[in-house]
Amino acid sequence: MNKVVGHVGRVGWQVPAVSSALRPSAAVELGHWGGPRLVRGKRVLDLGCGDGRLALGMAPYAKSVAGLDPDPPLIASARRRARASGARNVRFQVGAAQTLPYPSGAFDVVILSWTL
Amino acid sequence: MVDALREVHRVLAPRGVLVDARPDSRVLAGAEHLTGRGHRRVGTINTARVERANDRISDRAIARVVREGLFERRRHGRFWHRVPFDDLSGLVQYLREHLRFAHRARWSVDAAMRRRIKNDRFAIRRAVRFELLDRR
Repeated sequence: MNKVVGHVGRVGWQVPAVSSALRPSAAVELGHWGGPRLVRGKRVLDLGCGDGRLALGMAPYAKSVAGLDPDPPLIASARRRARASGARNVRFQVGAAQTLPYPSGAFDVVILSWTL
Repeated sequence: MVDALREVHRVLAPRGVLVDARPDSRVLAGAEHLTGRGHRRVGTINTARVERANDRISDRAIARVVREGLFERRRHGRFWHRVPFDDLSGLVQYLREHLRFAHRARWSVDAAMRRRIKNDRFAIRRAVRFELLDRR
């Protein structure tokens, strides 16, 4: 990738270092992992979803997307972004990775992006 | 961390896929001067020691669940990502505040050159690694 991905100005010191604004776009990440076919028609879990950057990027392709993060303000932000984008197949929830609030076999793809 | 990966195994359907993606601390990040003609490296940036240690712990956790037979490695790779800045002071300030990187770049151009180009655009170019694992 030899192109600057989205010029965001002095973002490095205007937003927290963990912000999704400092990360590759969902399209770029998904492209490197194998493209939309990786999640097309699948049930996807974005573990450590933060403000929903990746989950919302997967939503147009996936059957459903669940986003889980232990940080309530980030989940609130993700829900706002989901409402604004009109995505209807995305659900965000506060929770911890050690005890996932989902039944066994509930997902086809689990994503740990900048999480481990 | 291993507990979390075991939970991931539980919630994945048979033949499901786990994607693990994160910054690659095994490769130095670069400070780049962006010009109309392209970009050139003007320094390197180390990952903070504690973050390198965290990355090794993550690697060991993945290796362990693979050894346990929960997952099978399918494919891995690396790509590069640029974080752009309007000028050199933006990049320097970012390094001071960012927890993942060492707080100073190791410059490969001298101070006089940096002063000459300080108002140009800069970027941090860093590696992102990823791995796809199949649930077994």
